[in-house]
Amino acid sequence: MQPVTLQNVVDSLVDNTLDMSLPFFRPELALCATIVILLFVRIFKGGEYIPSFFIAILGSITALILAFPAEGFESWATMPRQELFTGMLVYDTLTAFIRIFLLSFVVLFIILSRLTGIADAKDGQDYYALVLGATLGMCIMSSANHMMMLFMGVEMASVPSYVLAGIVKGRQRSSEAALKYVIYGAGTAGVMLYGISLLTGVLGSAHLPTMAASLADLDIPNLLTTAEGRLTVMVLVLGGLMLGVGLAFKLSAVPFHFWCPDVFEGASAEVDAFLSVASKAAALVLLLRVGAGLGLTTAELPVADSADPPRVIAVAANETTAPTQNAVLVKQVADSQDATHVGGGPLSPVRRFFVILVSLIAIVSCTFGNLAAYGQTNIKRMLAYSTIAHAGFMMMAVAAAIALAGRDVVDARTAVSALLLYITLYLFMNLSAFAIVAFLRNEMHSEDIADYAGLIRTSPLTAVMMTAVLVSLIGLPPLAGFWPKLRVLQALYMAGGPLMTFVLVAAALNTAIALVYYLRVAKTMCIDPEPDTRGAVSLGFLPAAFVFVVSVPVLIFGILPGPLANWTDLAVSQLFS
Amino acid sequence: MDSIYWPTFFFYLFSGLACAFAVAVLLSSNIVRMAFYLVLSLGATAGLMFLAGAEFVGAMQLLIYVGGTLVLLIFGVMLTSQERFVVMKTWAGDWVKAFLAGGALLFILAYAAFSIPEWRGIERTEADAIVAQPTVTPIAMGLLGARTDDPSRAGYLLPFEIVSVHLLVVLIGAAYLARAKRSRSSIEKI
Repeated sequence: MQPVTLQNVVDSLVDNTLDMSLPFFRPELALCATIVILLFVRIFKGGEYIPSFFIAILGSITALILAFPAEGFESWATMPRQELFTGMLVYDTLTAFIRIFLLSFVVLFIILSRLTGIADAKDGQDYYALVLGATLGMCIMSSANHMMMLFMGVEMASVPSYVLAGIVKGRQRSSEAALKYVIYGAGTAGVMLYGISLLTGVLGSAHLPTMAASLADLDIPNLLTTAEGRLTVMVLVLGGLMLGVGLAFKLSAVPFHFWCPDVFEGASAEVDAFLSVASKAAALVLLLRVGAGLGLTTAELPVADSADPPRVIAVAANETTAPTQNAVLVKQVADSQDATHVGGGPLSPVRRFFVILVSLIAIVSCTFGNLAAYGQTNIKRMLAYSTIAHAGFMMMAVAAAIALAGRDVVDARTAVSALLLYITLYLFMNLSAFAIVAFLRNEMHSEDIADYAGLIRTSPLTAVMMTAVLVSLIGLPPLAGFWPKLRVLQALYMAGGPLMTFVLVAAALNTAIALVYYLRVAKTMCIDPEPDTRGAVSLGFLPAAFVFVVSVPVLIFGILPGPLANWTDLAVSQLFS
Repeated sequence: MDSIYWPTFFFYLFSGLACAFAVAVLLSSNIVRMAFYLVLSLGATAGLMFLAGAEFVGAMQLLIYVGGTLVLLIFGVMLTSQERFVVMKTWAGDWVKAFLAGGALLFILAYAAFSIPEWRGIERTEADAIVAQPTVTPIAMGLLGARTDDPSRAGYLLPFEIVSVHLLVVLIGAAYLARAKRSRSSIEKI
């Protein structure tokens, strides 16, 4: 073995960074460059005549092109999992997929912002820099492999979002939304940091695979039999719960959802689209990364890292617990294993904890979101509750994936594929819903559901598209929203066990609950009589074309979901291996 | 004088100062005084870091929190307040609620911190045997991505560099919010 000299260390660093990591980091680098260029051109004379929209759209399209695999999507089927930047990030098919998703969304989103006029000529560069900065954070969130990157990704995605929530100045509601968002975000980020420090303190590393190896070495079922050991497990559980607080905030999962309706009502509809699609997608993938990272040991674990003495807490020699009590505990552990069906192995307690926690929060979020959406009169508030409910539904897929991962990798991949399909179709549904809300706001100066009455007579295309999107959000065939819900239910069924069956029933019931409030909006638009006071509402050609382009996939993928499903299947083909 | 074990003495001194000024922040109702007490509390925390042999973290605590953020905060408060400084009033009910919530969290965290056997205190003979290693060079190299202590572990090049982009974006956001407001007709009317 080579002696460790400074020269060796620096050489291996340069090799790792330049040859291995940076080529996979090009889309993010393109985003960074775009942010700098956006600000830099204004320094030069005549620079203010270059519209920031063009720089932003060119930059994001460049990043999107760089994110596409050079050898075509088929190369995903054999792509290995790689750690970038000495273990900070992970590059696998999931990273590649979610990056294409986020960057495609940002391209559409920048066009939407230009069309609705929220990013005007004077402040455009600030707005686009914030959007691209948040997107950069989401890319990092979804590829995080280290607690430090997890925290930084969450912060990089959140802090620009706080400003975006208050981007419309001189409106009290908007400033209130931004302030609420900041305070909630700061509080949960602090709690999450506490949790991370507890976890890393006990496990001796912040690198997720190394943490999983330490957890496996701790031998949790054995720890539970001693008083000292139970205290250690208590600290781990506390750390996990506190980490969960930060993630639940990003997911707007109950009980950390309070910010969501207020922020969505106060912020502009465009920003709501950004928060409900991109931010949720990144947070869901991050949740999956945490679950898979801590709940599964990977074969790719660096050899030297596992040679690092794991901090096994010494089991007290004189066991205070009586043998019969031990037997009861072991039996309880075995019983609960039956209830969740998470498979065996040293990390099965971690997976069981994760699955139980995520499933319960998912059920509560989904049900609460759907029930609270009933009484809403403001369309953005209603869509905020709908976002909470959908996030809950998608979290069920994450729970199913982690429950399955310990038993059957192929089934677990199916669950992740269902999640990715859901995220992808959710982009079209929510982006077009919020785009319609934003365009109608520009025309009617209102965001109340009641003011949409009889819209089908003055603006038939808008009303039809909105109805299609709402029906798709319910998950009714033949629209696209049906397929991901079906596949999530299928994944829950495969996961089996009493807990997952309960989740399955809750999910199916929720689809029925959601029916009413979505259809109420559709009824207001299509059946209710038009008010006399309102003039003609027409979106104009470009906005109508945008809405059409974004919502037509909801119809197309409803009838032909095959290509998209194949693509998401391809994107998970190497996961958990 | 040998009977006094100085590290323990300084530990109690710094931790006492940190806690006392933290409580002072809580009890004061004048925002400028609060900021000043916070400076002292964070300064005492830096002393604890030095005592634990983490010179780098201690120095950063002094430079960033005490030197940068808080001085900025005090000047920010002084420069932006047009009238008398804001005096915050807290109702008795709020005190009780805050005490319950904060106290519960404090209890759980303290209980958790003391329940890990490895995190408990060590004997004086063991403490005397510890030879302090300089930490600044390994940490600084780690931030550049090169781990001199164990090359196989993760280096911190990426977070160190990417945070600069993050700070740039945050600065833009802050500048945007601080700028004088302009009207935006269609969106503002709602």
